[in-house]
Parts: sequence; structure tokens; C-alpha cells
Amino acid sequence: MRMPDRPPDRPDTSGLRLAIVTTHPPGKGSLNEYGYHFVRFLRHKPEVAEVILLVDRLPDGEVYEFEDHPHWAPVHVIPCWDFGRSDNALRIRSAVQKMRPDGVLFNIQFASFGSGKVPASLGLLTPALLTRMGCPTIVLLHNIMETVDLRSAGFAPNPLVETLIRQSGTFVMRQLLAADLVALTIPKYVEIVRAKYGATNVVLAPHGAFEEGDQDAVAQSAAPATGPCWELPPGPQQIMTFGKFGTYKKLETLVEAFKLLQARAVPQATPIELVIAGTDSPNAAGYLQSVRARCADVQGIRFTGYVAEEDVPHIFGDAAVVVFPYTSTTGSSGVLHQAGDYGKAVVLPHIGDFAEVIAEEGYAGEFFAPGDAQSLAAAIARVIDDPIRRQRLGAQNYAASRGLPIAEVVDWYLLHFQMLIEQKQRQGLVGAGAV
Amino acid sequence: MNITTVNKESGAVVRLAGRFDAHEVAEVRKALDAAQQMGGGWVIVNLAGVNFIDSSGLAALVAGMKHCRGENGDLYLCELRQPLRVIFELTRLDRAFAIFGSEAEAMAALPTPVAATHA
Repeated sequence: MRMPDRPPDRPDTSGLRLAIVTTHPPGKGSLNEYGYHFVRFLRHKPEVAEVILLVDRLPDGEVYEFEDHPHWAPVHVIPCWDFGRSDNALRIRSAVQKMRPDGVLFNIQFASFGSGKVPASLGLLTPALLTRMGCPTIVLLHNIMETVDLRSAGFAPNPLVETLIRQSGTFVMRQLLAADLVALTIPKYVEIVRAKYGATNVVLAPHGAFEEGDQDAVAQSAAPATGPCWELPPGPQQIMTFGKFGTYKKLETLVEAFKLLQARAVPQATPIELVIAGTDSPNAAGYLQSVRARCADVQGIRFTGYVAEEDVPHIFGDAAVVVFPYTSTTGSSGVLHQAGDYGKAVVLPHIGDFAEVIAEEGYAGEFFAPGDAQSLAAAIARVIDDPIRRQRLGAQNYAASRGLPIAEVVDWYLLHFQMLIEQKQRQGLVGAGAV
Repeated sequence: MNITTVNKESGAVVRLAGRFDAHEVAEVRKALDAAQQMGGGWVIVNLAGVNFIDSSGLAALVAGMKHCRGENGDLYLCELRQPLRVIFELTRLDRAFAIFGSEAEAMAALPTPVAATHA
């Protein structure tokens, strides 16, 4: 049996040159981890001919480095924007005009371009600028203003400022919706944005797991012998928290809970250590230094500073439990997916997004009341005092994280780009090279 | 999950029934790979019996479609129940796949095999 060649109604969209506006290691901006893994897998896709990385400029002495490989798409790095500058939109547009990619993906959240309201908002106008140029543009938006507790997250000190931010947030969201497509990672976000803005170009695109999936391991996850190592290293049990701290990721309650756990009179209890892995949020410079100064007299706390990509497996692998000391959440958590990758039990605040993620993505954890050190200490104790419970939670999270690796999520974006390009080609809006 | 594969003249039909989630993906992928070989790159997936699909199930269908298109074929879907239609619309994958109301309609849309030519 011989079949006809490519159907005549399907244009050839192979050999894609895609640009990504993102942060990327060694840059330390928010979502750099997601950017790293997305780019890593995008390069592996046969339909991608080139990845153009539109990233923030690094401090002197640091450079973006990418391994060449004959079967991977090459990466063209263009550091063209700076966190906190107000002209990022124009600079990114200029880079896109110069490079003429077939499409542009934004890997962003609402504070990606600055901690100040003006640079943050102006940066978020970039997708609209590119769409008006005729460039197929997709925005992967990791959070939406509508679900963020701005006051708890440290963005609004009083109700008046909160109201102003929300109004400007509505304006900015409308601008973001000028992109060809806006991808959100949680079904509830899609429903909210569709309902509030009447948007028809909003889609659900799962966050995805950073490591490549092992479907056989998922199928056997009731008996997770093929999963990660469940044994912990010798020494104290490590209570680990990972991220960029100071805005809605606060350490004060966690330190208090750690002191309560240390003070417990539990017979034969294993010693414990609190590992604080990561850096200040770009919006809270100096926060970790102030925490370190305030808990200088507390034994057993280790600050790792910035965790390089090659050290991430050790940080997660050695942890007995991963704690999310959040006072608010701003989106689906990359750290939660990482904890799942390494088969770790997690302790989560009983607020908004995390409950959604747990329910919809199959993760499991112990919950605590935000801001309540007693509640947090009890939740951690339920994990570290019960190895069977710890392993069971870790196994469930591992199975959840294996469900959809980011490599497959990348395929969804490629499909969306191919459909957009085909649509614009039919409308005569773009030729080879979008702009 | 029940998986049944039927070879037709113009392609292969894979009928799925049950819950299509991460625990079932490995078996479905194997079935789709086999169907792709059997059908010369043209596969119809009948989802009439599927009452739930998660993101990993969707990803398996996307991967199957990519493989088929890589062979200059395609993977068609048919007989989606309403809950599945909602998921496909939410993800906009309803625009990526050719989706038919019935298996017969999907069969009719398959290209007619080209008779082998002799020199």
C-alpha cells in the first residue's frame, strides 16, 4: 500500500527559527530554570532549525554558554534587555526585527522585566508590539494578577496601591492578550482570563516536568522500586527550601518552625538541618542577608546561596523534605515539579494555587497554615518522623512529575506555532522569516 | 484501559476505552506505534470509550500525530465525549487534530490508497 505524499492543505513548517524571550542560567532572574529546560528540549526537536535566545544581559565576567551538538539546533544568544529598565520592549523589538524569527515565545511572569511598576508594565507590552509587526507570538504567562494576593506577596503595601496595581494589571493583561496566543499553566487561570477579558486566544499548556519522563516507571509507580533512591544520606535529615526569597517566599516562619522542631523531646530522633537554597528575589535585594543576621544564633541552618544547575540534583536528592514557606503564590510552582522529579515529599501552605496543583496534577503533600510556625513544624514532623509516609508522598510526587515531561510540552508549543504560522501564511501576513 | 487495534485498507484504527492517564500512556504509545506501522502512517483513534484524559494522555496523542505526520500520514480522532471535547478546546489541541464525529467519517477522510504502479 502506498499513500499520497504530504497532504496538499498542510504547509511545510519544518526548519523553524524560534526566538524565546526569557531568563536563562547563569542569569539569575525569575523563571531561569524553566527557560533552561525549555531551551534544552527545544533544541532536540527535529523541526527546529535555530533557537534565538533573547535574554537579559549578564554582569561583567559571566557569559551564556551552550554545547554544540550535530543533532541539536544551534542557539544564537542575544542579550538585549535588563531587569528594571524601561526600554526593554523597544530593545527586544529591535532584536526581533534584526533576527527575523518565524515566531517568538515569551517565558514570563508579571514581574519578569522589573520590580518597579513602570519597567515591569512596559516590558509586558513587548508581545503586543511584536504581534503588530506580524510576528507569530505566544506568551507563556506563569501567573496572573487576578489570583495573586498582592499585599501578602509584598507588591502592595496598602489597599490604595493594591487597587492601582490591579487596574494597571488589567490594562497590561489586555495588552498581553494582543499576542496571538497566551498560554497559562492552570485550568482555573484560563477560565478566569476567558471570563474577565472575553479572551478567545487563551489556552492551557501544562507546566511539565523538567526531567525526561519514564512512562514505564509511571505505570509501575504503585511499587516505585524503579524510581529515585528513597534512602537519605548519612547525617542530619535535611529540611530544604529552594527558590528566590523575600517577596512571597518568606523564611521567618520556617526558621521559627525549625527551632520548634529542634526543641522537641523526641526519643531517638534524627538530628535535623535547615537548608536554605537560593538567592534573594530580584524584588527583595538583601533579604537573605537580613535573615541570616537574625538567626545567627540558631544552630543547624545552612545557606547555600545560588545553586548552579549541576548542583540541583544534590540539593534535592539529599533533602528529606522540601518546604514551600510561601505567604502567597503566583503560579504553578517549578520547585514543586522539581521536588517531584527527585521523588521528594513536600510541605505546602494551605492556599490557592498549590491546592489546585495538588488536585489537578496528582501531587501530594502535608499542608500548613501560612504564617503559623506551630502548624508548619507539625507538618514537617509528619514527614520526617515517618519514613513510610515520606516515601509514599515522594513516590506519588515522582509519579506526578513523570506524567508529562517538559519535552512533550515543547511539542505542544511547536504545534501552536506551526498552526499560527500556517494561518498567517494563508492570510498572506508572513513569509519566510516572520518580520 | 482496553485497547483494540483494527487494520483497515486505508489505515489502522485504535479503539480506546476507559481512563486515559499517565498509568496507561506506555501501553497506548505502543499501540499507536504498531498502528502507525500497520496503517502506513495513517491512524484513527476512536475515543468513544474514554471517559477521562489527562495531560499525559493528550501528549501521547500529540506524539502519535507527530510520528504519523513524520511519515507523511496523519492521526485522526473520532467520537470524543463532551468532557474530552472540553479538554481539547481548553488546550486548543482541537485545532491541531482532525476530529470527526464518527469512525465512518474519519475513515472516509483517509486518503485512498494509491495502486502500485508497474514500470
